[in-house]
Amino acid sequence: MNAIWLIMIAASMLYGLCTGKVDMLNGVLLNIGKETFDFVLPLLCMTCFWNGILNIAKEAGLLKKLEHLFHPFLKFLFKDIRDDEETLGYIATNITVNMFGLGSAATPMGLKAMEGMQKHNPQPDTATRSMVTFLVLNTAGVTLLSTTIIAMRTSFHSLDAVGFMPYAVAATVFASAVGLLVDRWWNYRD
Amino acid sequence: MTEITVYILPVLVLVIFLYALVKGVNAYASFSDGVKEGLHLFSSVYPALLAMMCAISLLRESGLMELSSQLIAKGIPYIPSEIVPMILFRPVSGNASLAVLIDIFKTCGVDSMQGIMASIIQGSTDTTFYVISLYFSTVGIRKIRNSLTIGLIADAAGIGMAILLTILFFQ
Repeated sequence: MNAIWLIMIAASMLYGLCTGKVDMLNGVLLNIGKETFDFVLPLLCMTCFWNGILNIAKEAGLLKKLEHLFHPFLKFLFKDIRDDEETLGYIATNITVNMFGLGSAATPMGLKAMEGMQKHNPQPDTATRSMVTFLVLNTAGVTLLSTTIIAMRTSFHSLDAVGFMPYAVAATVFASAVGLLVDRWWNYRD
Repeated sequence: MTEITVYILPVLVLVIFLYALVKGVNAYASFSDGVKEGLHLFSSVYPALLAMMCAISLLRESGLMELSSQLIAKGIPYIPSEIVPMILFRPVSGNASLAVLIDIFKTCGVDSMQGIMASIIQGSTDTTFYVISLYFSTVGIRKIRNSLTIGLIADAAGIGMAILLTILFFQ
């Protein structure tokens, strides 16, 4: 990340200076701090609100309900750790929390799930099949409610801030399905 | 479709509140707790986003983004050149693609085809490189097998589907 960032900025400076865009570069350098702040602030307020709403769902046990729905499906997907209820629980929570677009809340659960799977790993420096499946599910990122994007579209005064959602859900479900199928086909041939 | 989607959020809130009512949860307290957690996000989101916004604004203002996007867009049909940086950054960094999304909202408009396409792409996958490096490094795994390849295949499928759906329903 560091190298990409350095190169992006250095290359832009060099290209901008060579093509005579020095005024525009100055504009960015002097205003970007406030511009980003002005944008992050409304976004943060929206996120705080939804964090509050979803926290009610969590404490009322609604997320737990969802996790139970996934359980049979997860037992089938993660054959290698079928008997480890605790780890399966972490996986279920991670996926459920991710579905509601709370990525940062999902990460600690995901890490616990990884530690759980590592306990069953015969070669501790190599990924197990379950780990690959879990990461494929995570990187495809099944998200049903993208609160950040909705918040952002609202702060830009969109006439239809939530209209994109069904399509995003379709795309994310498709990505996960493709990921899972490739994983099955590639890693579970025996 | 628009008529149905406006009901998603109110109905979701209704379901959560009814459920909390039935379960007798102290919803007021858990709401405040959730908001408090959200406030902590600022100190981690602002620095990362500022770094990316700065780099992407400079790329755009210097003209380098336009130049490289047009070069790449020539190779891929049907994709507006503004979307190219989105596709490149989405698997690498969540904050970078968020910064590109803001940039597209600013230059093309939030309800333009580019704006909608970028929103769907942002929602269609997660940051593959970040998730894989974080999760594997935490438990000390160095041989990640084919997880990165499969993750990127899934990303390509999600982004491709996002572009296809936008062209079909929003053009």
